[in-house]
Amino acid sequence: MSTINFAAREINFKIVYYGPGMSGKTTNLKWVFQQVPQNRKGEMVSLATEDERTLFFDFLPVDLGEVKGFKTRFHLYTVPGQVFYNASRKLILRGVDGIVFVADSAPNRLRANAESMRNLRENLAEYGIKLEDIPLVLQANKRDAPDALPVEMIQAVIDPEMRLPIFEAIATNGIGVFETLKAVSRQVLARVASAG
Amino acid sequence: MVEPAIALFGGAYEKASHVLEELLRETGARYVLLLDRKGFVLAHKEALWAPRPPALDSLATLIAGNAAATQALAKMLGEPRFNELLHQGATYGLYAEEVGDLALLVIIFDNTAPVGRVKLFGKRAVQSLEVITKEALVEPGTLGIDREYHAGASALLDELFGS
Ligand SMILES: Nc1nc2c(ncn2[C@@H]2O[C@H](COP(=O)(O)OP(=O)(O)OP(=O)(O)O)[C@@H](O)[C@H]2O)c(=O)[nH]1
Ligand SMILES: [Mg+2]
Repeated sequence: MSTINFAAREINFKIVYYGPGMSGKTTNLKWVFQQVPQNRKGEMVSLATEDERTLFFDFLPVDLGEVKGFKTRFHLYTVPGQVFYNASRKLILRGVDGIVFVADSAPNRLRANAESMRNLRENLAEYGIKLEDIPLVLQANKRDAPDALPVEMIQAVIDPEMRLPIFEAIATNGIGVFETLKAVSRQVLARVASAG
Repeated sequence: MVEPAIALFGGAYEKASHVLEELLRETGARYVLLLDRKGFVLAHKEALWAPRPPALDSLATLIAGNAAATQALAKMLGEPRFNELLHQGATYGLYAEEVGDLALLVIIFDNTAPVGRVKLFGKRAVQSLEVITKEALVEPGTLGIDREYHAGASALLDELFGS
Protein backbone atom coordinates (compact mmCIF):
# COMPACT_ATOMS: atom_id res chain seq x y z
CA MET A 1 0.00 0.00 0.00
CA SER A 2 1.28 3.45 -0.86
CA THR A 3 2.43 5.59 2.03
CA ILE A 4 0.69 8.92 2.30
CA ASN A 5 2.38 11.44 4.52
CA PHE A 6 -0.23 14.12 4.93
CA ALA A 7 1.98 16.17 7.18
CA ALA A 8 4.71 16.52 4.61
CA ARG A 9 2.05 16.33 1.87
CA GLU A 10 3.78 13.43 0.15
CA ILE A 11 2.53 10.31 -1.54
CA ASN A 12 5.09 7.55 -1.92
CA PHE A 13 4.95 4.44 -4.05
CA LYS A 14 7.27 1.45 -3.96
CA ILE A 15 8.21 -0.19 -7.23
CA VAL A 16 10.37 -3.31 -7.26
CA TYR A 17 12.44 -4.64 -10.17
CA TYR A 18 12.37 -8.43 -10.01
CA GLY A 19 13.87 -11.13 -12.22
CA PRO A 20 16.68 -13.67 -12.50
CA GLY A 21 20.31 -12.89 -11.75
CA MET A 22 22.13 -10.77 -14.35
CA SER A 23 18.95 -9.95 -16.28
CA GLY A 24 19.66 -6.21 -16.04
CA LYS A 25 17.62 -4.92 -13.08
CA THR A 26 20.41 -2.79 -11.67
CA THR A 27 21.21 -1.55 -15.18
CA ASN A 28 17.61 -0.29 -15.51
CA LEU A 29 17.95 1.71 -12.31
CA LYS A 30 21.35 3.08 -13.29
CA TRP A 31 19.88 4.38 -16.53
CA VAL A 32 17.02 6.07 -14.74
CA PHE A 33 19.50 7.59 -12.31
CA GLN A 34 21.65 8.92 -15.16
CA GLN A 35 18.76 10.42 -17.10
CA VAL A 36 16.49 11.95 -14.49
CA PRO A 37 17.40 15.59 -13.77
CA GLN A 38 19.25 16.31 -10.54
CA ASN A 39 16.33 18.03 -8.82
CA ARG A 40 14.02 15.09 -9.44
CA LYS A 41 16.03 12.32 -7.87
CA GLY A 42 17.77 11.40 -4.63
CA GLU A 43 20.91 9.39 -4.08
CA MET A 44 21.16 5.92 -5.53
CA VAL A 45 22.06 3.37 -2.89
CA SER A 46 23.51 0.04 -4.07
CA LEU A 47 24.26 -2.79 -1.71
CA ALA A 48 26.36 -4.98 -3.98
CA THR A 49 29.21 -7.46 -3.89
CA GLU A 50 32.72 -6.72 -5.19
CA ASP A 51 31.73 -7.99 -8.63
CA GLU A 52 28.68 -5.70 -8.77
CA ARG A 53 26.05 -8.34 -8.14
CA THR A 54 23.22 -7.01 -6.01
CA LEU A 55 23.57 -8.31 -2.46
CA PHE A 56 20.53 -6.81 -0.77
CA PHE A 57 18.99 -4.11 -2.95
CA ASP A 58 19.49 -1.00 -5.06
CA PHE A 59 17.38 2.00 -4.18
CA LEU A 60 16.58 5.16 -6.09
CA PRO A 61 13.96 7.76 -5.13
CA VAL A 62 12.43 9.66 -8.05
CA ASP A 63 10.27 12.74 -7.61
CA LEU A 64 7.40 12.95 -10.01
CA GLY A 65 6.50 16.46 -8.91
CA GLU A 66 3.52 17.98 -7.22
CA VAL A 67 -0.02 16.90 -7.93
CA LYS A 68 -2.92 18.64 -6.21
CA GLY A 69 -0.58 19.84 -3.50
CA PHE A 70 0.94 16.42 -2.92
CA LYS A 71 4.56 15.65 -3.70
CA THR A 72 4.48 12.33 -5.49
CA ARG A 73 7.49 10.11 -5.21
CA PHE A 74 8.44 6.70 -6.52
CA HIS A 75 10.88 4.59 -4.58
CA LEU A 76 12.54 2.21 -7.02
CA TYR A 77 14.16 -0.96 -5.71
CA THR A 78 15.89 -3.92 -7.30
CA VAL A 79 16.11 -7.34 -5.67
CA PRO A 80 19.16 -9.59 -5.82
CA GLY A 81 18.34 -12.05 -8.60
CA GLN A 82 20.68 -14.86 -7.63
CA VAL A 83 18.70 -17.85 -6.41
CA PHE A 84 20.41 -18.17 -3.03
CA TYR A 85 19.53 -14.63 -1.96
CA ASN A 86 15.86 -15.46 -1.57
CA ALA A 87 15.63 -14.42 2.07
CA SER A 88 16.69 -10.87 1.20
CA ARG A 89 14.58 -10.84 -1.93
CA LYS A 90 11.49 -11.58 0.07
CA LEU A 91 12.15 -8.68 2.44
CA ILE A 92 12.32 -6.17 -0.40
CA LEU A 93 8.81 -7.10 -1.50
CA ARG A 94 7.29 -5.85 1.71
CA GLY A 95 4.76 -3.12 0.96
CA VAL A 96 5.34 -3.23 -2.79
CA ASP A 97 2.93 -1.22 -4.98
CA GLY A 98 4.11 -2.34 -8.41
CA ILE A 99 6.58 -4.74 -10.01
CA VAL A 100 8.74 -4.74 -13.12
CA PHE A 101 9.80 -8.25 -14.07
CA VAL A 102 13.07 -8.02 -16.02
CA ALA A 103 13.55 -11.16 -18.10
CA ASP A 104 16.76 -12.07 -19.91
CA SER A 105 16.40 -12.71 -23.65
CA ALA A 106 19.30 -15.17 -23.88
CA PRO A 107 18.21 -18.76 -24.67
CA ASN A 108 20.20 -20.22 -21.78
CA ARG A 109 18.28 -18.00 -19.35
CA LEU A 110 14.79 -19.03 -20.41
CA ARG A 111 14.47 -21.45 -17.56
CA ALA A 112 15.90 -18.94 -15.05
CA ASN A 113 13.18 -16.49 -16.15
CA ALA A 114 10.48 -19.06 -15.50
CA GLU A 115 11.91 -20.00 -12.12
CA SER A 116 12.21 -16.41 -11.04
CA MET A 117 8.56 -15.77 -11.92
CA ARG A 118 7.53 -18.79 -9.90
CA ASN A 119 9.66 -17.52 -7.03
CA LEU A 120 7.96 -14.12 -7.26
CA ARG A 121 4.58 -15.77 -7.02
CA GLU A 122 5.66 -17.74 -3.94
CA ASN A 123 7.22 -14.76 -2.20
CA LEU A 124 4.18 -12.56 -2.82
CA ALA A 125 1.97 -15.31 -1.45
CA GLU A 126 3.83 -15.06 1.84
CA TYR A 127 2.56 -11.49 2.11
CA GLY A 128 -0.91 -12.66 1.15
CA ILE A 129 -0.70 -11.07 -2.30
CA LYS A 130 -1.70 -12.81 -5.51
CA LEU A 131 0.41 -12.16 -8.57
CA GLU A 132 -2.78 -11.30 -10.44
CA ASP A 133 -3.66 -8.59 -7.93
CA ILE A 134 -0.61 -6.40 -8.20
CA PRO A 135 0.44 -4.00 -10.98
CA LEU A 136 3.04 -5.95 -12.94
CA VAL A 137 4.74 -5.30 -16.26
CA LEU A 138 7.27 -7.45 -18.07
CA GLN A 139 10.47 -6.42 -19.74
CA ALA A 140 12.35 -8.60 -22.21
CA ASN A 141 15.84 -7.20 -21.76
CA LYS A 142 19.07 -7.78 -23.68
CA ARG A 143 17.34 -7.63 -27.03
CA ASP A 144 20.80 -6.93 -28.49
CA ALA A 145 22.04 -10.41 -27.62
CA PRO A 146 22.90 -12.11 -30.93
CA ASP A 147 20.78 -15.17 -30.17
CA ALA A 148 17.94 -13.33 -28.38
CA LEU A 149 14.79 -15.43 -28.25
CA PRO A 150 11.53 -14.17 -29.77
CA VAL A 151 9.61 -12.09 -27.22
CA GLU A 152 6.57 -14.39 -27.51
CA MET A 153 8.66 -17.33 -26.44
CA ILE A 154 9.89 -15.52 -23.35
CA GLN A 155 6.41 -14.38 -22.46
CA ALA A 156 5.07 -17.89 -22.94
CA VAL A 157 7.16 -19.14 -20.03
CA ILE A 158 6.66 -16.25 -17.61
CA ASP A 159 3.09 -15.30 -18.52
CA PRO A 160 1.50 -18.24 -20.33
CA GLU A 161 -1.89 -16.54 -20.53
CA MET A 162 -0.25 -13.58 -22.26
CA ARG A 163 -2.07 -11.33 -19.84
CA LEU A 164 0.65 -8.79 -19.05
CA PRO A 165 2.18 -5.93 -21.05
CA ILE A 166 5.72 -6.71 -22.20
CA PHE A 167 8.38 -4.21 -23.29
CA GLU A 168 11.52 -4.93 -25.26
CA ALA A 169 14.63 -3.36 -23.84
CA ILE A 170 18.37 -2.90 -24.12
CA ALA A 171 18.91 -1.47 -20.69
CA THR A 172 22.58 -0.72 -21.24
CA ASN A 173 21.55 1.83 -23.92
CA GLY A 174 18.39 2.88 -22.13
CA ILE A 175 16.15 1.44 -24.81
CA GLY A 176 12.79 0.52 -23.29
CA VAL A 177 13.77 1.56 -19.78
CA PHE A 178 11.48 4.57 -19.39
CA GLU A 179 8.64 2.93 -21.32
CA THR A 180 8.66 0.08 -18.82
CA LEU A 181 8.83 2.33 -15.79
CA LYS A 182 6.09 4.55 -17.12
CA ALA A 183 3.79 1.61 -17.75
CA VAL A 184 4.13 0.24 -14.23
CA SER A 185 3.81 3.71 -12.68
CA ARG A 186 0.60 4.31 -14.59
CA GLN A 187 -0.86 1.05 -13.37
CA VAL A 188 0.09 1.86 -9.81
CA LEU A 189 -1.54 5.29 -10.02
CA ALA A 190 -4.64 3.87 -11.67
CA ARG A 191 -5.00 1.45 -8.81
CA VAL A 192 -4.89 4.02 -6.04
CA ALA A 193 -7.30 6.21 -7.95
CA SER A 194 -9.85 3.45 -8.29
CA ALA A 195 -9.36 2.29 -4.69
CA GLY A 196 -10.07 5.80 -3.39
CA MET B 1 -2.38 -4.19 -0.53
CA VAL B 2 -3.11 -6.33 2.48
CA GLU B 3 -0.94 -4.28 4.74
CA PRO B 4 -2.76 -1.35 6.29
CA ALA B 5 -1.06 2.01 6.00
CA ILE B 6 -0.22 4.56 8.63
CA ALA B 7 -1.67 7.93 7.68
CA LEU B 8 -0.04 10.30 10.07
CA PHE B 9 -1.68 13.69 9.85
CA GLY B 10 -3.56 16.26 11.86
CA GLY B 11 -3.70 15.47 15.56
CA ALA B 12 -1.82 12.18 15.26
CA TYR B 13 1.05 13.89 13.49
CA GLU B 14 1.16 16.67 16.09
CA LYS B 15 1.26 14.11 18.87
CA ALA B 16 4.00 12.06 17.23
CA SER B 17 6.02 15.22 16.55
CA HIS B 18 5.69 16.18 20.16
CA VAL B 19 6.98 12.80 21.31
CA LEU B 20 9.93 13.07 18.93
CA GLU B 21 10.76 16.57 20.14
CA GLU B 22 10.69 15.48 23.77
CA LEU B 23 12.88 12.54 22.89
CA LEU B 24 15.49 14.79 21.26
CA ARG B 25 15.57 16.95 24.35
CA GLU B 26 15.72 14.08 26.82
CA THR B 27 18.44 12.13 25.04
CA GLY B 28 20.55 14.93 23.58
CA ALA B 29 20.44 13.07 20.26
CA ARG B 30 20.95 14.72 16.87
CA TYR B 31 18.09 13.34 14.85
CA VAL B 32 15.05 11.22 15.56
CA LEU B 33 12.85 9.64 12.92
CA LEU B 34 9.65 7.69 12.78
CA LEU B 35 9.60 5.36 9.77
CA ASP B 36 7.20 2.84 8.40
CA ARG B 37 8.57 -0.66 7.83
CA LYS B 38 8.88 -0.06 4.14
CA GLY B 39 11.44 2.64 4.78
CA PHE B 40 9.36 5.77 4.29
CA VAL B 41 9.81 8.66 6.69
CA LEU B 42 6.59 9.45 8.58
CA ALA B 43 8.00 12.19 10.81
CA HIS B 44 11.40 13.47 11.87
CA LYS B 45 13.00 16.04 14.12
CA GLU B 46 16.49 17.48 14.22
CA ALA B 47 18.26 19.11 17.14
CA LEU B 48 18.75 22.83 16.52
CA TRP B 49 22.49 22.53 17.03
CA ALA B 50 22.94 19.51 14.74
CA PRO B 51 24.38 19.89 11.23
CA ARG B 52 22.18 19.02 8.26
CA PRO B 53 21.41 15.29 8.32
CA PRO B 54 22.41 12.99 5.44
CA ALA B 55 19.73 12.09 2.87
CA LEU B 56 16.85 10.92 5.03
CA ASP B 57 15.31 8.88 2.22
CA SER B 58 18.37 6.69 1.87
CA LEU B 59 18.89 6.51 5.59
CA ALA B 60 15.33 5.33 6.14
CA THR B 61 15.60 2.69 3.43
CA LEU B 62 18.79 1.23 4.84
CA ILE B 63 17.49 1.18 8.39
CA ALA B 64 14.23 -0.47 7.38
CA GLY B 65 16.16 -3.06 5.33
CA ASN B 66 18.51 -3.65 8.21
CA ALA B 67 15.64 -4.04 10.68
CA ALA B 68 13.82 -6.42 8.36
CA ALA B 69 16.96 -8.52 7.99
CA THR B 70 17.49 -8.54 11.76
CA GLN B 71 13.94 -9.75 12.39
CA ALA B 72 14.30 -12.41 9.72
CA LEU B 73 17.42 -13.62 11.53
CA ALA B 74 15.53 -13.73 14.83
CA LYS B 75 12.82 -15.87 13.25
CA MET B 76 15.38 -18.26 11.80
CA LEU B 77 16.78 -18.73 15.29
CA GLY B 78 13.32 -19.43 16.64
CA GLU B 79 13.16 -16.09 18.44
CA PRO B 80 9.90 -14.15 17.96
CA ARG B 81 11.88 -10.92 17.67
CA PHE B 82 15.10 -9.18 18.58
CA ASN B 83 14.38 -6.20 20.71
CA GLU B 84 16.39 -3.40 19.27
CA LEU B 85 19.17 -2.47 16.96
CA LEU B 86 22.17 -0.57 18.20
CA HIS B 87 25.18 0.47 16.16
CA GLN B 88 28.00 2.40 17.75
CA GLY B 89 31.13 3.84 16.27
CA ALA B 90 33.80 6.15 17.66
CA THR B 91 31.66 9.26 17.16
CA TYR B 92 28.17 8.26 16.10
CA GLY B 93 25.56 5.85 17.24
CA LEU B 94 22.30 4.66 15.79
CA TYR B 95 19.49 3.11 17.74
CA ALA B 96 16.37 1.62 16.18
CA GLU B 97 13.40 0.05 17.86
CA GLU B 98 10.16 -1.41 16.55
CA VAL B 99 7.00 0.59 17.06
CA GLY B 100 4.30 -2.05 16.81
CA ASP B 101 4.19 -4.04 13.59
CA LEU B 102 4.27 -1.18 11.16
CA ALA B 103 6.73 1.46 12.27
CA LEU B 104 10.27 2.02 13.52
CA LEU B 105 11.76 4.63 15.79
CA VAL B 106 15.30 5.72 14.94
CA ILE B 107 17.60 7.79 17.10
CA ILE B 108 20.88 9.05 15.74
CA PHE B 109 23.24 10.44 18.37
CA ASP B 110 26.88 11.35 18.88
CA ASN B 111 29.18 10.59 21.78
CA THR B 112 27.86 13.51 23.84
CA ALA B 113 24.62 11.56 24.36
CA PRO B 114 24.86 8.67 26.83
CA VAL B 115 23.66 5.40 25.27
CA GLY B 116 21.81 4.51 28.45
CA ARG B 117 19.63 7.59 28.12
CA VAL B 118 19.06 6.96 24.44
CA LYS B 119 17.78 3.46 25.18
CA LEU B 120 15.75 4.40 28.21
CA PHE B 121 13.95 7.33 26.64
CA GLY B 122 13.79 5.54 23.31
CA LYS B 123 11.81 2.72 24.85
CA ARG B 124 9.52 5.16 26.59
CA ALA B 125 8.86 7.05 23.37
CA VAL B 126 8.07 3.77 21.63
CA GLN B 127 5.22 3.15 24.04
CA SER B 128 3.58 6.49 23.23
CA LEU B 129 4.28 6.19 19.52
CA GLU B 130 2.79 2.72 19.40
CA VAL B 131 -0.55 4.09 20.60
CA ILE B 132 -0.41 7.04 18.22
CA THR B 133 0.46 4.98 15.14
CA LYS B 134 -2.21 2.40 15.96
CA GLU B 135 -4.80 5.15 15.99
CA ALA B 136 -3.49 6.46 12.70
CA LEU B 137 -4.00 3.15 10.87
CA VAL B 138 -6.17 3.22 7.82
CA GLU B 139 -7.43 0.30 5.84
CA PRO B 140 -6.21 0.09 2.27
CA GLY B 141 -8.55 1.62 -0.21
CA THR B 142 -9.90 4.31 2.06
CA LEU B 143 -7.23 6.89 1.42
CA GLY B 144 -9.19 8.59 -1.29
CA ILE B 145 -6.90 9.58 -4.08
CA ASP B 146 -9.25 10.72 -6.76
CA ARG B 147 -9.34 10.75 -10.54
CA GLU B 148 -8.14 14.30 -10.70
CA TYR B 149 -4.98 13.36 -8.82
CA HIS B 150 -4.50 10.43 -11.15
CA ALA B 151 -4.79 12.58 -14.26
CA GLY B 152 -2.32 15.11 -12.88
CA ALA B 153 0.18 12.44 -11.93
CA SER B 154 -0.14 10.80 -15.34
CA ALA B 155 0.72 14.06 -17.09
CA LEU B 156 3.82 14.38 -14.93
CA LEU B 157 4.86 10.84 -15.87
CA ASP B 158 4.89 11.89 -19.51
CA GLU B 159 6.88 14.98 -18.70
CA LEU B 160 9.53 13.14 -16.69
CA PHE B 161 9.83 9.87 -18.61
CA GLY B 162 8.91 11.12 -22.08
CA SER B 163 5.65 10.40 -23.91
N1 LIG C 1 24.20 -6.86 -23.89
C1 LIG C 1 23.48 -6.41 -22.89
N2 LIG C 1 23.97 -6.47 -21.63
C2 LIG C 1 23.19 -5.99 -20.63
C3 LIG C 1 21.92 -5.43 -20.87
N3 LIG C 1 21.40 -5.05 -19.68
C4 LIG C 1 22.33 -5.37 -18.75
N4 LIG C 1 23.40 -5.92 -19.32
C5 LIG C 1 24.63 -6.41 -18.64
O1 LIG C 1 24.31 -7.57 -17.87
C6 LIG C 1 25.10 -7.62 -16.69
C7 LIG C 1 24.21 -7.77 -15.48
O2 LIG C 1 23.41 -6.61 -15.31
P1 LIG C 1 22.82 -6.16 -13.92
O3 LIG C 1 21.98 -4.97 -14.17
O4 LIG C 1 23.90 -6.02 -12.92
O5 LIG C 1 21.94 -7.44 -13.57
P2 LIG C 1 21.00 -7.67 -12.32
O6 LIG C 1 19.71 -8.15 -12.85
O7 LIG C 1 20.97 -6.48 -11.46
O8 LIG C 1 21.76 -8.88 -11.59
P3 LIG C 1 21.68 -9.32 -10.03
O9 LIG C 1 22.02 -8.11 -9.24
O10 LIG C 1 22.66 -10.42 -9.85
O11 LIG C 1 20.29 -9.80 -9.79
C8 LIG C 1 25.92 -6.34 -16.67
O12 LIG C 1 27.20 -6.62 -17.15
C9 LIG C 1 25.18 -5.43 -17.62
O13 LIG C 1 26.02 -4.48 -18.25
C10 LIG C 1 21.44 -5.37 -22.23
O14 LIG C 1 20.33 -4.91 -22.52
N5 LIG C 1 22.25 -5.88 -23.17
MG1 LIG D 1 21.45 -6.14 -9.52
